Order: sequence, then structure tokens, then C-alpha cells
Amino acid sequence: MAWQKILLVLKREYWINFKRKSFLFSAFGVPLLTFGAMFLIARFTANNETDLSDFNRIGVVDRAGIVTVLENPDASAGSDEPEYVLLTNPDEPVPGEDDPEARAAYFDALVQSAREQFEAGELDGYLVISDDYVLTGLVDLYVEGSAPAALSSSVRNFMRRQIVSRVPDSLAVPPERIAAPVEEVLRDIETGEELSTEALLGRMFVPFIFVFIYFLATSTTAQFLMNGVVEEKETRLMEILATSVRPIELLWGKMLGLAALAFTQIGLWLVAAIALALSMEEAREALAGVNFAPLDIVLVVVMFVANFLLFAAMMLGIGAASTAEAESRQVAGILTFIGVLPMAGVITFFTNPDGPIPLFFSFFPLTAATGILLRFGLTNVPMWQILLSLAIQIVSVFVVMWLSAKVFRLGMLMYGKRLTPRAMWQALREGRSTLTTASEPASGTFAE
Amino acid sequence: MSASSNVCAICVQNVTKRYGNFTAVDDLSFEVQPGEIFAMLGPNGAGKTTTIRMILDILKPDKGSIEVLGAPLTDATKDRIGYLPEERGLYRDVPVIDVVTYLAQLKGVPRAEAQRRATTMLEQVGLGANIKSKVSELSKGMQQKVQIIATVIHRPSLVIIDEPFSGLDPVNTQMIKDLLYDMNREGTTIVMSTHQMNFIEEMANRLVMIDHGRRVLYGTVLDVRERFAENAVVVEGTGDWAALPGVRSVDVSDSRGEVTLHLADDATPDSVMQALAVNPAYTVRRFELAIPSLNDIFIQVAGNNSRNGNGG
Repeated sequence: MAWQKILLVLKREYWINFKRKSFLFSAFGVPLLTFGAMFLIARFTANNETDLSDFNRIGVVDRAGIVTVLENPDASAGSDEPEYVLLTNPDEPVPGEDDPEARAAYFDALVQSAREQFEAGELDGYLVISDDYVLTGLVDLYVEGSAPAALSSSVRNFMRRQIVSRVPDSLAVPPERIAAPVEEVLRDIETGEELSTEALLGRMFVPFIFVFIYFLATSTTAQFLMNGVVEEKETRLMEILATSVRPIELLWGKMLGLAALAFTQIGLWLVAAIALALSMEEAREALAGVNFAPLDIVLVVVMFVANFLLFAAMMLGIGAASTAEAESRQVAGILTFIGVLPMAGVITFFTNPDGPIPLFFSFFPLTAATGILLRFGLTNVPMWQILLSLAIQIVSVFVVMWLSAKVFRLGMLMYGKRLTPRAMWQALREGRSTLTTASEPASGTFAE
Repeated sequence: MSASSNVCAICVQNVTKRYGNFTAVDDLSFEVQPGEIFAMLGPNGAGKTTTIRMILDILKPDKGSIEVLGAPLTDATKDRIGYLPEERGLYRDVPVIDVVTYLAQLKGVPRAEAQRRATTMLEQVGLGANIKSKVSELSKGMQQKVQIIATVIHRPSLVIIDEPFSGLDPVNTQMIKDLLYDMNREGTTIVMSTHQMNFIEEMANRLVMIDHGRRVLYGTVLDVRERFAENAVVVEGTGDWAALPGVRSVDVSDSRGEVTLHLADDATPDSVMQALAVNPAYTVRRFELAIPSLNDIFIQVAGNNSRNGNGG
């Protein structure tokens, strides 16, 4: 093979497609739009979830008679924690539990009064602790619009203080333990290191996000690849090119050029995704949890390069075999569908990452890279499986490239005609000489 | 003279190519000499394109051998060939200069040199202003000129062009003709396959005519024409042509007074011309041997073959 010509084709395919508007948009526009969207979401949603400045006074109607502590001893000076105000009727003592009707009427009147104070702007919200709170934990919270997560959390802490205050000193358990009975620490089964919930989520979802980015990026570039071949076939440039460069060299050049382009795009998106993640605390912890070994990372990269090359080789074959872009797109759609099957069946990975379906996906050439990567965060994938999966993919790439070059040669001579599966099968079985028998002679498929 | 002992630009020896039961090329042999303009002609479906594809190693012959520039085709030899197929195209959404440069680079021309040559040649054919235009923005004739430049930019030793002049107006036809003549003068062998007989008569040194995959005519253009010439002269003038000594019969060719005089077996064009010169009853404006045009020969040969049901 003439590497110089392969390199020439590679460079051309890379730059021609890099300059396409659709590539520039997906490579640079999509991360920018994502940043923009995340910024807006953070600005309008996340802030609202933590902002308590609209909730200064919260009324409390205590039907259960449980509230004893109104102050929050742990609140710092500048805290925007709301002030809890216990609503009572100073003119009337609270009726006893032996007179439920009078008691109900008393509290109904308090609820009514709370509502009036709320409407008058004296309260920013109120909560009603139900009669059977001790059994049910039921607390009704009334506010304007929706309650931010921080307010719910504040109410929960308020109720926790009431319970803790009732713990008798004789109980050999400190009140803090009753407020928070479990301090759960998740540890890495291999290293014993502590993992936060975010880190654990990161382990599961970072591979998932990578696979998602990979498919978005590769579907664009694989499409370019296929369209390029269809164009060369339709304009009959193929025949001119074939007198300068061998079909297999042309195909390798195209494939490697587009692979370089796909990984440029993935690189750009990953940089953007990591930059975005580092700007958010939870995501930072999630990333920190993804402590894949350097060898694993290298293997994953190699595996995805192999997966892309396989996918691309198939696209080249499809492009060479079809007569129009629309037709090739349909077939390409089926391939993409097969490629994303592990994503669709991701639940089987979460439930049993070493089960038969994830194992099948790990060794089936088109899904091998995704199959292995999705299992990475969930189980300890044995090295032999990784290497076998990789070997299957690499062998597949060479086989498919060889087949595609055959189809390409045949497609070059059958301009405007769709290659029948029979003609292709014959071409592949009989090699180069098949070009003699691949078509019906009477139809004049081969011009002159 | 055997092909192997003679370095020819193209040696096709006893080549056969079958598609299933259909024989596209049948025991075909011919040679193209270095430095000549050689024409391949034949009716549609005769086997010309299949032959060209075998010469270029796009197809393999079932039988026979082909040598190009003195040896069986190698990758290195391919870089010395320029080929333009009949149905041709270019990358559509790419600037003209980039397409031409890329195709030249594939033929081994360094990038900077390819760009310099492309610019010069595009300017030569009047496309200087369109160097940066996308191919899709050019007219069909302009695209054709770009295609021809892309075919010859690497200064090949052998150029094979299928229908070089189809779709070109007379001005552009002349421009391309000049380009091909210039290259030929510098030693490039040119093989053209065409249906336009006038160009073959005008440009080609030798020709091969293929019909039903077989060679039916082969030789210099003049030889072929003379081989088909009958004992006749074409005369333009006035007089009683039938009464002229040595004339067997007269065909009136057109209304301008051009007639074809078919001569008796013992008469020659010279004897008829002498008879005319001494007889004041005749005026002659033109007198020439009645050599049939290639077009007539083509129609005659292809027509006969077709009537005889030759081949598939």
C-alpha cells in the first residue's frame, strides 16, 4: 500500500469535512449551546432551589402539640433560615385532648388566621403539623407558588429539632444520632476508598455520557464518509481516482481522515463537558469518583477507535453499494440502530452487568466497545474479555475493509445500478475475476 | 514486429473479456505508438470502454495481455497516465483549484507545484477568474475544461480521453484541441475514443475501429480511407459529365453542381483530368479523389456488421 497516497487522501478528507458548516456547528456550536443552556438553567432553576430570601417568616400551626424549640441553635449569624412562628390564640387556652371537637375548632381557627396573615403579607408561608404527626409524619406546607428544595429541607430540620428535644437524658443515645441515625459511607470494593454518592453516580453515568457523546459525534462523521463515497460514485470520479490510487488505499485514507475528524469532535466535546462539570460541585465529585486506571482509559480509547473504524468501514461499503444518498442513509440507519442497542438495553447492564445480554453486546463487533465500557463502571471486567472484544473488533475492521474495497470496485463499474446481493456475494466469493460475472450481460450493465 | 520487442505506448494482444455468456471484447489486438494521436472508434456497446478499463487495470482481461508504456501496468506507471472517462464529474462543493491540486497530488505532483500548474493552466483556458469558484458554480463547458486540465496536469506520457469534445462549443473545442496538440508536440501519446469522426480525420494519426468486441479497422487514417475508396472522383463545375471518356456513371451529389464520377475499370483519375483539360466544353472549379469520409466508412462497416448479426 502507498502510505503517501493514503496520507494525502486522509488529509483531504479531514480538512474538506472539517470546513463543512454542519461539522463546525456540531463541533463548536453544540458545546456552546450546551454551555448557554446550562448557564440559563443554573441561573433560573438552581438558584431558586437554594434561595430562601423570600421566606422570612413561616407560621406553624401545631395540631400535634409537639413544637418546643423555635430557634435553630446551629444556624449561623448570616443564615437566611426562615423564622418559625408558633401560632396560638392568647385569649383561649388550647382545649385538652379529651375534647376533640373543641380542639379541632381551635386549630381550624388558627389555620384560618394563618391564612389571613399570609394573605396580609405578615407570613411568607405556614405549616400545619397534623394531629397524628407522631404516627404519620404528616406536615402540610403552604407557600406562594412552589417550595424550593432548601425550604423543604429547613422544615425537615425544624421538625427534627422538635423530636430531638424530647429525647430523655437517660437515653444512652445522643440526640444527634436520633436526628441522623445512619452516616452511610460507600467504599470502593477494590481499594476500600470512600465514595460519595456523586462519585458513585459518576462511575455509572460517566461511561454512559461518553458513549452518548461518541454516538453523536460518530454519526455525523460516518454520514460524511458515506456521502463522500456516494458522491464519487455518482459523479464517476471513482473511475478517475482508481487510475491514481488503489481502492483499498482510497478507502483507508477516507476512513482514517474521518476517524481523525470524529475524534477531534469527541475531543472538543469532552473538553467542553469536563469544563462544564468542573464548574459544578456535584459533577466535580462525580468525576473524581471515576478513577479508571490509565491502562483502562487507553484500552477504552483503542476500543472506540476500533469501533469507529468498523462502523466507518461498513459505511464505506454501503456507500459503494448504493446509488443514492437517501438509499444509503436507510441502511446506515439500521447500522446505527444496532450500534446503540446497548444504550437502549442499558437497564440490563445496571441489573446484571455480567449477564448474558451485556456479555453478548461486549463481543458482538458493532456493539463491543459500548458493551465493554458500560460494564466498566458497574463490574470488574476481566482483562481477557477486554482483549478478546478488542481483537474481535480489529479483525472485523480488516475483514470489512477488504469486503468494502471489493464492493467499491464492483460499484465503480456498475454506475447507476444498485448492486444486487447476489452480484455482491459473487464478487466477494470470486474476488477480482467476479467483475466478469457479476451482472447480467444482456442488460449492458457494464457500458460497452 | 512483435509487441514485446517493441516499446509501445499501449500493446493490446489477443485480449478477450467476457461478462457471463456475453463477449464484450473478442481476441482484440492493437498497438499505440509513442507520440501519436490514436483514435478508438466503434458503435455504442462495441467494447471500447471495456478495452480502456482493461488498459487501465480497472478490469482484468480473461485472456491475452496488455502492456502500457512498455510493461504491464504498475502503480508507478499509473502516475504517468491521464484518464478522463466519458461520463465524468468532479467534487461539486469544492473550489476548482483545490480539486485540480488534489488530483494532481494523487498523481505524485508536489502540492506547491500542483497549485502553480493548476493556476497557469486554468488561466490558459480562460478560467482565471473562476479558480476559487466551487465546481458546482461553473457551466458544463467550464467544468469540462477543468476536467481536462485535471487529466493532464501531471504531464502524463499517455493520455486516454473518452469523448474529449462532447458538450463543448466551437471556441472551447478549439482551445482543448490546441491543448492536446501542444501536449502531443511535447511527446505525449494521446488516445481518444470518440464518435465524432471529423475530429479523428483531423487529429488522429492512426485508428482502431472495434465492433462487437472485434477489431474491424486498423491502420493510419489515410490508409483506412483509401482502402475504402472506389475508382471515382468528385468534380464541381459544368459540362456533360456522362459523355466524358472513362466515366462509367454519374451521381449528382448536391445542388451546387458537385458530382461524383464513377470511373470505368481502365480509366484513372489522371486520365479523366487530362480529358477535361483539353475539352473547352467543361469548366472545373474543383477536382478531387472520391475518398469516403470516416463517417461513411463507419456507417458502412458498422451497418454491415449489424446486418450480418455479428456478435451478441
